[in-house]
Amino acid sequence: MSKNQPDMIRGTLDMLILKVLSLEPMHGWGIGERIQQVSADALQVNQGSLYPSLHRLTRQGWIRSEWRTTENNRRARYYVLTRAGERQLGLETDHWTRLSVAVGRILALG
Amino acid sequence: MIRWIGNLRFRLRALLDRRRMERDMADEIEFHLEMEERKYRAGGVGAEEAHRLARVRFGGEERFKEQSRRSWGVSWLQDMGGDIRFAARQLRRRPAFTTLAVLTLALGIGGTVALFSVVDGLMLRPMPVRDEAGLRVFWMDYDWRGVEFDFARDRVKAFTSLAAYSMDAVTLRTATGSSLVLSCIGSAELFDVLGVKPLLGRTFRSGEDRPGADPVIVLSYGLWQQRFAGDPTVIGRTVGVDGRSTTVVGVMPRGFYFPTPEARAWVPLDLDPSTQTYQSNGWLVLVGRIRPGVTGAQVHDDVTALAHAMGQRWSYPAAWDKSRSPHVTPLREYVLGSVRPALLLLLGAVALVLLMACANVAALILTRTTDRTGEMSMRTALGASRTRLARQILTESVMLGAGAGALGMGLAAALFHVLVASLPLQNGFADTLSLDWTALTGAMGLAVVTGSLISLAPMRSLLAGDLSGSALGERRQSGARRGPGRLRTSLVVAEVLLAVVLTTGAALLVRSVERLRDVDPGLDPKGVLTVDLLLPEASTDSVERDQLLHSVLQRARAIPGVSAAGLINRVPARGGGWQATVAVADRPDLADRQRPNAYYRPVTPGTFAALGAHIVRGRGILPSDRLDSRRVAVVNEAFARRFWGTRNPVGRTITDNGFTEGPIEVVGVVHDIAVDKLVGERPPAVYYPWAQTMHGSSYGILVAKTETDPAALAATVRKLVTQVDPRMTVGRVETMDDVLDAAMAEPLRLRFFLGLFSVLGLVMGTVGVYGVVSFGVQRRRAELGVRLALGARPARLVGETVAAGLVPVLLGVVGGVGLSWMASSFLARFLFGVAPTDLVSFGAAAGVLIVAGVLAALVPALRAGGTDPAVVLRSE
Repeated sequence: MSKNQPDMIRGTLDMLILKVLSLEPMHGWGIGERIQQVSADALQVNQGSLYPSLHRLTRQGWIRSEWRTTENNRRARYYVLTRAGERQLGLETDHWTRLSVAVGRILALG
Repeated sequence: MIRWIGNLRFRLRALLDRRRMERDMADEIEFHLEMEERKYRAGGVGAEEAHRLARVRFGGEERFKEQSRRSWGVSWLQDMGGDIRFAARQLRRRPAFTTLAVLTLALGIGGTVALFSVVDGLMLRPMPVRDEAGLRVFWMDYDWRGVEFDFARDRVKAFTSLAAYSMDAVTLRTATGSSLVLSCIGSAELFDVLGVKPLLGRTFRSGEDRPGADPVIVLSYGLWQQRFAGDPTVIGRTVGVDGRSTTVVGVMPRGFYFPTPEARAWVPLDLDPSTQTYQSNGWLVLVGRIRPGVTGAQVHDDVTALAHAMGQRWSYPAAWDKSRSPHVTPLREYVLGSVRPALLLLLGAVALVLLMACANVAALILTRTTDRTGEMSMRTALGASRTRLARQILTESVMLGAGAGALGMGLAAALFHVLVASLPLQNGFADTLSLDWTALTGAMGLAVVTGSLISLAPMRSLLAGDLSGSALGERRQSGARRGPGRLRTSLVVAEVLLAVVLTTGAALLVRSVERLRDVDPGLDPKGVLTVDLLLPEASTDSVERDQLLHSVLQRARAIPGVSAAGLINRVPARGGGWQATVAVADRPDLADRQRPNAYYRPVTPGTFAALGAHIVRGRGILPSDRLDSRRVAVVNEAFARRFWGTRNPVGRTITDNGFTEGPIEVVGVVHDIAVDKLVGERPPAVYYPWAQTMHGSSYGILVAKTETDPAALAATVRKLVTQVDPRMTVGRVETMDDVLDAAMAEPLRLRFFLGLFSVLGLVMGTVGVYGVVSFGVQRRRAELGVRLALGARPARLVGETVAAGLVPVLLGVVGGVGLSWMASSFLARFLFGVAPTDLVSFGAAAGVLIVAGVLAALVPALRAGGTDPAVVLRSE
């Protein structure tokens, strides 16, 4: 990770994972790739740290996992957003929006 | 809720299906790396480089795996498993430490729980009556006449109700057979005063204690189960009680007892004013319920007024003047009075033992922790967090506590039975006691809490950060250690102090028992058997009863090996029984109200021979002393001494108004046989010929002396009694040795327990001293090594070390002697023939502790003297 790239804010990784999964079920590697692509490489996901997050989210019941076959005919663990996860994503998105608006206002001060 | 369940399910799976979770995680990461590699390959990177890059970008695979595992939410459990395994390994590595710690704690806990169960059962658990606090027993128990009861009942104002009762053995005949049942004989109000309802049927009705009432009986739950198999249709059934057909009217609830659990049935008194018993036999206990709102002072005034009225109504001989010192006693105190001080003493002793056990384990753990400072520092340096280390010490202590608790439970169960069997609980209380399971569970908790609390001491210094830097060089200078060192020395001082207190108590009791053994019972217990005989009064007449008792006596004398046999009304040293006022003809100063009391002891020819009591003057009781011959009596030495001094009593005359009429000639003096009890001054007693005083008696106690084993004789006598008449019942059967043992039961038992506790205390004190000295030696190893290398004499080092170890011992001994001195007045009541400040006992206790201390200090000191300087210096 180079110096000018912002560190992932604590807790935001979970939100991003939930967001990515709200589009379609995805395996761990795919989630990391997707975050990086969409953020135009601005957000570097530390690949390894993705997995503890995924496991924690599973335990909390916000996502669940199942083994599926990829288009390349390879077995992979896919994560799927649950109902509870959708609700949680809504909450976190609201929270994030409010926070970033507030922070934006302060930074915009004369 | 659902989320919570899902969460739990996940954790459970993580815990139970761990292998699959691991495999899935590995597969998942492998897939990730493969995809990443494929991405690089697609970008034109070579196979090997792609493989490397993928792994670099992923980061530390194991670290993330560990993080994932932690996110499964079961890691604390796994850590705990690790801690426990680690602690177990640590404890196993130090078997001596572990054994000592667990054993001392287990003994403390086991003893406390066992004793607490007994104390709880006897003193804390309420008696099975309503509001026992309101119940009072009137002064002069087993001494109230029926006529006095009726007199008192109408006069007491501070009591809502008053009842009279006594104890008696009745023969109970049912379809299944006949047996002797110890029963409570009570007035009609008894159950109202107690405020208890029956389980089945009813209790006494008013008037059932008066002449002409139909005989009834109320059964205890136990008797109902045993004799009637718990049959609920028993109410209204007719049984035989002392030969009279009697209706079963009630069954009391389980757990109810009165006055002691020994009484298994209740029958009404027969308060018939026309009888001699009603008018002149004092044999009742009066129990009353205080009117609500009445103060203690009012009760006192009330009974004082009653006593005054009685003094005016009757003229009492001074020896049993009921108008003097009237008072009432709370029921519980009355029923349990004799056991209570002994129990408190033992409870105090066991509390000391528990304190010592805790102090000891604390000292042991402190030593361990200090020993392990190096190890701890090393682990801190390797990245173990302080909380983790603290948790580990805690785990170890809790494991010690749990182990000790489990062992303590076993010990408690075993000790409890010993305790119940050896307490002076003659009244059947033993059956009502049970090991307190709450206390057992409490012991487990106590052990764990003790373990944790003890571990707090080293933990504090651990968390305060004293470990820094001590891993390598400055182990010996660390200030952290002086604190626990001083703490441990104080612990040892306390231990020695408590051990001295325990040992002094034990020594005093050992000496008391020695003195007791020296007491002359006035008889020779060897080979003597006593057998209580009872005859059914209702179905036999008095001549028949005399014949039956006589033929049992004749046949007993004919048993091979029996050298002498006789009858008596009371076994020596087993309770007093009737007393009667006697008038001494040539002592007119002892007339009327000054007439003295004497115990009443009818005996047959052969009784003195069987007891091995020799006649000091004159003659004993002879077969020629018959109902129709001249009235004679043999007095004991105490009687002769008291009324005639050194003058010869033989040929003098006494009268005994209580039991016989007319003058009685004293024909002999018998050596002082123990009368009511073994110890204390012998009371005056008069031995009358059985034939002249016990005509028609429905009971008698057979005393037989055999050359063989008296216990073996018991079966023969039982068979013989059945052969003579199956209606005859055998009650208590005891050898004279048992009777005498029972008479000194309390000091014997106290000696046993205090002896046990003081040995425990001694062991713990010794272990404590050993620990402190060996710790000191270890700490000073470098110094000792250098001094030895510089030519110091080993003997001098040994002496120095022992002396240092003796400082806490001497402090403890001084404190302990002081404390024992202060506590001595409490012990006084348990002692016999020994002053509570007996110097020999104090000296012995102090000496034993000092010797133990020297020995305990000597072992590590010798090791110090034998230190090899080369080894020590090299290891530094």
